[in-house]
Amino acid sequence: MSVKNSLLAILAAEPTHGYGLKSSFEKTTGGAWPLNVGQVYTTLGRLERDGLVQPEGTGDGPRQTWRITALGREALEDWYENPVELDPPSRDELAIKVLLAAAAEEVDVTRIIDRQRVVTMERLQQLTRHKQKADPDKELPWLLLVDAFILKTKAELTWLDLCEERLRQRAKPAKPAKEQG
Amino acid sequence: MGVESNGAALAFEAASRVYGTGERSVHALGPVSFDVAAGELIAIMGPSGSGKSTLLALAGALDRPTEGRVLVRGQDLASLSARDLAKLRRREIGFVFQDLNLLPGLTAIENVALPLELDGIRISDARAESMAALERVQMGTLANRFPDDLSGGERQRVAIARAHVGPRALMLADEPTGALDSVTGELVMRLLREQCDAGKTAVLVTHDASHAAWADRVLFLRDGLLSDKMAGAEAAMEQA
Repeated sequence: MSVKNSLLAILAAEPTHGYGLKSSFEKTTGGAWPLNVGQVYTTLGRLERDGLVQPEGTGDGPRQTWRITALGREALEDWYENPVELDPPSRDELAIKVLLAAAAEEVDVTRIIDRQRVVTMERLQQLTRHKQKADPDKELPWLLLVDAFILKTKAELTWLDLCEERLRQRAKPAKPAKEQG
Repeated sequence: MGVESNGAALAFEAASRVYGTGERSVHALGPVSFDVAAGELIAIMGPSGSGKSTLLALAGALDRPTEGRVLVRGQDLASLSARDLAKLRRREIGFVFQDLNLLPGLTAIENVALPLELDGIRISDARAESMAALERVQMGTLANRFPDDLSGGERQRVAIARAHVGPRALMLADEPTGALDSVTGELVMRLLREQCDAGKTAVLVTHDASHAAWADRVLFLRDGLLSDKMAGAEAAMEQA
């Protein structure tokens, strides 16, 4: 999982204690995924069990520093070497809503798409303001992350446009029949 | 609305455009009403044929509404003579298109200075203003290059400089990032945004949501109508 590999990646640079791992992870990932310290210690425990990290010196509790082992470096290299396996799409409420609305005769799908588009566009504008403010020299990781969110949000808007266009095409041939009847 | 639109950089008041007459007429736009405040960047999105280009042509006084009014800084475009309209286009409005923006026989700075020189401004003053505009879009060092010696992104930056040089306060941009790769397109949007943050006004027509997102407001057109108005229009029709 990514927390395990992220901790290994940080420890590969230098031995670090638990809290340092938490703040270093959050700094590098622009604070997008806050980690709780408990999760860091649980993960460190598992990494130690598997021989990927080991405690260093005589500190204990929060002061305990950890270092990556040779086995840990191998695991990290493996992670960097291999492309990320994509999870199956999670249950997406918007997609489900649009599909159900498109199947239901009495629901105005265009209105649903319109309203969603406004909200999704507002999100995209917010993200773009973050991008505008980000300093590309000092905040590169944050900027890259914002770019990723922007493209995912843009994909949702593109999908909404496509839904609307396909629904319009579906609606067109039905119209003259209605007028005749 | 009347009072507000006097203070707006651009206002559409129930403006519509119908091409042709009778059965063969094409309803291209409207009625649409909206204001653009000074310093605002507005993006217009919508599928092909939704009326985006018609809207931009009306805003730029390149075309007249069939009904309703279009006001630039409070001036009703319909009340202006052809001569005054030409002056307004030269002094107040700058255009940025997808391509074919610059005259190939003139250098970057000559292209930017052209509207000022046509307006009778002394050449030395026009050059100084044009240089300042080019510097604002980070093109000062390439001011003496010809368009053919510039990249697509650099040419668009020159076009943005020309669109807001001197007293020009309203920039109208039609897919200005269309032919550019995503990083260069983003730079063009960033520069457009910066000019608006500095007080200029812009209306941007684009297909690309990530470029529209640089705007303060995004308006969606469908079948010539603003989509947030459509619900109201339908309700009105149902009542009628």
